[in-house]
Amino acid sequence: MKSQSLISSLNPANEPDSLDSFERAEIDASTKLPVLLFFGSAIFWLLVGSVLGLVSAWKMTHPGLLDGEAWLTFGRLRPAHLNTVIYGWASAAGIGVGIWLTARLCRVVLMHSKLLIAAAIFWNLGVFVGILGILAGDSRSIEWLEFPGYATPILFVSYAFIGIWTIIMFRYRRPGHVYVSQWYLFAAFLWFPWLYATANILLTWQPIQGSAQAAVNWWFAHNVLGLWFAPIGLASAYYMIPKVIGRPVHSYYLSILGFWSLALFYSWNGMHHLIGGPFPAWMVSASVVASIMMFIPVVTVAINHHMTMRGHFGALKWSPTLRFTVFGAMTYTLVSLQGSSMAIPSWNTFIHFTDHTIGHAHLGLYGFFTMIMFGAIYYIVPRLVGWEWPSANMIRWHFWLSAVGISIMVIALTIGGILQGFAFYDPTVSFRSSLDYATPFRIVRGLSGFLLLGGHIVFAVLFTQMVLRIGQIKEGPALFAKPSESQKEGVAV
Amino acid sequence: MTAGILLLVSGLVFLSGSALLAFYWAVRDGQFNNLSESAKTIFDADEPVGTPTDRFPSNTRP
Repeated sequence: MKSQSLISSLNPANEPDSLDSFERAEIDASTKLPVLLFFGSAIFWLLVGSVLGLVSAWKMTHPGLLDGEAWLTFGRLRPAHLNTVIYGWASAAGIGVGIWLTARLCRVVLMHSKLLIAAAIFWNLGVFVGILGILAGDSRSIEWLEFPGYATPILFVSYAFIGIWTIIMFRYRRPGHVYVSQWYLFAAFLWFPWLYATANILLTWQPIQGSAQAAVNWWFAHNVLGLWFAPIGLASAYYMIPKVIGRPVHSYYLSILGFWSLALFYSWNGMHHLIGGPFPAWMVSASVVASIMMFIPVVTVAINHHMTMRGHFGALKWSPTLRFTVFGAMTYTLVSLQGSSMAIPSWNTFIHFTDHTIGHAHLGLYGFFTMIMFGAIYYIVPRLVGWEWPSANMIRWHFWLSAVGISIMVIALTIGGILQGFAFYDPTVSFRSSLDYATPFRIVRGLSGFLLLGGHIVFAVLFTQMVLRIGQIKEGPALFAKPSESQKEGVAV
Repeated sequence: MTAGILLLVSGLVFLSGSALLAFYWAVRDGQFNNLSESAKTIFDADEPVGTPTDRFPSNTRP
């Protein structure tokens, strides 16, 4: 494709010249620099965020740990953990995967890579300034929006660049069907900047008053999951699962139905965090209804991925990408149905404000989203650097440390949270003694954090080896490899 | 309070509304005309249906 200026790409008078045809390898190669920038920085923040999370977790049971310095207090470390993993790791990894998928699905080489490189620089600058701000005591105490007001505009610039780039790529795509993953990426890349700006304007620059602030807060916080992480994760799963096993999606009709019902219902879900709050009852009720309606998109995705995989489960043995992606896709079903049930007011009474919610959040962001991102990165990076992952065993270690770690964490927090909730509800139990119910489970949670951190270190080492092309030469990059006959035998068609 | 809630509800309507508009475009454009073929758009002559494309790295030749 001819290189052209940003202005001429955006000018509606210019007819897109989209008929050039490109080799897949050529398209992959064109995404190398921006995608590796996003992946590399994401993995750095993942390590930082894991340490921050681990320290915060142990402070829950050992309050004396690392006390004495203001920036090491729980009130700063915990939001620093949340924002590092949300914006530093998960969002950046998601953007990287989204860029690669967009180029492949539009079937054109990446245009305006400078725009994306600028986006990556702004992104990391925003996260860096934001985390330092939180540790320095400038946290805004608004959940999921703790970054101080001087950090958020930097992130917004990055979001805006990516949104503009998405539109240009779509204009210049090669004609043909818009695959379902592409729809999910649109939802993420075009809605989220708008959502982020609205929430920041209404809470920081022109703050609205009273309990409406809580409404804006949770409308945003829940949509981060529903209109940002979930669509990117599902876009990746809808591409990776069929592509890896070489079989089209079981029911394309269901995938379309799933996308459009998610697009219609999800943005109404946030107010279910305010059940029982000083808030118009009809808004909470509308949100509870929408939360239950989420059964439709969730069940369509679950049926679809299961039926696509049916007869191919043996493939989990030989594909790292599939292993992580299927773990994530199954967790998506679990975490979404759990989320819908948590919106039922009678159950919400027990679990609100307990560790159960923390377990749910980690199941969603780690069990579902992070695992799918790991899977996608294992697929994408060899195709960008033309190098094979140096060690199959290290990938296995990464998988099992992550999978076992997150399972232990979520089970411990869920059980501990429910016990804690029943204790809260019992007037004969004091608040102080209600905490004792959760303590042993919090210790288990703290231990599971070590497993996750271990997995991340293995992953970071693997990624560094790939980028620097360290290690002995294997038979060829994964993109050229085909499973042997014996490997195929485990795979019924 | 009222202005904030008004803004919030208009936000909800905007999100759902833009989804409806995009859906309208997709139907008009014929995106849903042939669903069973559309599912195969991610495959091509190079990587056709039936070819697995990922596996663990190994030193032994298959």
